[in-house]
Amino acid sequence: MQFSLKRRLLSVLENMPVDRPPVICPGGMMNSAIVDIMKSSGVTFPEAHHDSELIAKLAWEVHRQTGFENFGIPFCMTVEAEVFGSTINYGSLTCEPKIAKEIFPDLASVEFQPVEELLRNGRILTVAKAAKRLAQDYPDVPVVATLTGPISLAASIVDPMKFLASLRKKPEQTHKLLDYVTRFLIGFSDLLTQHGVTVIAIADPTATGEILGPAMFKEYAVRYLKQVVVGVHKAGVPAIVHICGNVSPVKSLLPEIGADAISLDAIINLSKLKAEFPTLITMGNVSTYLLEFGPTDKIREATMRLVKEGVDIIAPACGLSTTSSVENIKAMTAVVADTDVISKGGENYV
Amino acid sequence: MSKEIFKKLQEAVIEGEEDVAVAAAKEAVAAGLNASEAIVEGLAKGMETVGRYFEEQRYFLTEVILSSYAFQAGVKVLKSHIKVEAESPGILVLGTVLGDTHDIGKNIVGIMFGAAGYEVHDLGRDVAPEAFVQKVRETKANILGLSALMTTSMDSMKTVIKLLKEEGLRDSVKVIIGGAPVSTRYAQQIGADGYATNAVHAIRVARELLENKIVLAEAN
Repeated sequence: MQFSLKRRLLSVLENMPVDRPPVICPGGMMNSAIVDIMKSSGVTFPEAHHDSELIAKLAWEVHRQTGFENFGIPFCMTVEAEVFGSTINYGSLTCEPKIAKEIFPDLASVEFQPVEELLRNGRILTVAKAAKRLAQDYPDVPVVATLTGPISLAASIVDPMKFLASLRKKPEQTHKLLDYVTRFLIGFSDLLTQHGVTVIAIADPTATGEILGPAMFKEYAVRYLKQVVVGVHKAGVPAIVHICGNVSPVKSLLPEIGADAISLDAIINLSKLKAEFPTLITMGNVSTYLLEFGPTDKIREATMRLVKEGVDIIAPACGLSTTSSVENIKAMTAVVADTDVISKGGENYV
Repeated sequence: MSKEIFKKLQEAVIEGEEDVAVAAAKEAVAAGLNASEAIVEGLAKGMETVGRYFEEQRYFLTEVILSSYAFQAGVKVLKSHIKVEAESPGILVLGTVLGDTHDIGKNIVGIMFGAAGYEVHDLGRDVAPEAFVQKVRETKANILGLSALMTTSMDSMKTVIKLLKEEGLRDSVKVIIGGAPVSTRYAQQIGADGYATNAVHAIRVARELLENKIVLAEAN
């Protein structure tokens, strides 16, 4: 069976056999628009964050030049916080946008607005239109939209120290805030799906085991990530969840999130994790340090090891540095595309 | 009597109870206890325990943040009653480097150093290299802590060290780096003096550096 790029990714996420793993970079926190490509295409940051045509063009250039088998949009993780009113610094050519200041100093000062109104703000429609353009023009390439996860989003609109302190001390207010951002994320996912997005990825870098610990991870991260995943499923597409850092203290909770694939940082051994939790579809985790500094033979080696170990989707482990070279990224994607492994019914790879 | 109050201060910090810490600190003042001693034997001892729990993974960052708030609240009450300042082990200038706004870990480092008696100057996040250097000069700091959580921003650490050299300040200050993307190897590459994995570790590294116990070889 011949797989289109879209069919292959969807098959993996449906736990169906494929000829080889897809190699993708989902966008958002894991932005793949690197300086080399911006320079050669003439579509540059920070302008490209604000215009749906530029987003679509840059996403296409990334796909064409790097060999990543998807479109990954947007190119930052500030779209969501911006619509809630946080101040964004849009960065520069080499530096992605970041939160300059969270709008609320603490949980008590959060003003709740209707989700429908939030969805009309900021760059929400810009991203949605870019997705629509890409989905229409390239129906065989999966459009992956990456959202900021609920814990990270909450910590992007309320002072992060105050937010984290409230997890234990003010559970009621914290749940109210997380319910609010979760409803917004589901609304955003729904809108994106209507605009042709193939897969929703949710990156929640603040929701690490190291920051939250098992009790808070279960109480808040698992609960709200799960709600977003259910919402994404209702919208009719699969969901990938990315968790940063060392998930070891909370790994037994990962299956509960219900994601169609779980993407993890370089510190985690994915084949061991898979052996421990066979139901998990894994994604990752080529070191972004390696991708920035190379050399290419080490990148090829590391990528090949992941393919051989049966990692289901090959991807960078974390956010790519914008100064990584096209050559280094191609070293990673080419290894996966060249893998000559035949699918056997039920068994994915040998 | 004093022991009992010290114990209360410790417990308040360990449990992360701001109100309890303030009440216990006021009790210490009312009982006429030595304020510096109440900080060292009470609040800071509590923070030491929190640090140990954190290393043992009994506590995570959320708990450490609550404890540090309790610690700071207690210190605020006691500080105005200190008669003679205790000798400080050092002066720390601290910040998250340019291009990076992740500051949770960096904040904890600042609080832990404060608890360990250091004079702390936290420059915040997204700090320009020039600002670090200027603050080091102004405060005569002997420790500079640089934090980065992104591979895109870690290079700025190198710029800070270069600038320290150019300004003739490099030998007067020990540079410790930290954050997810950096490592001992990276510290060697850019000519920093040390690398720390977390706040508790950073205090140990600082102490050892100030006592000249560890030396990182300059990588080629």
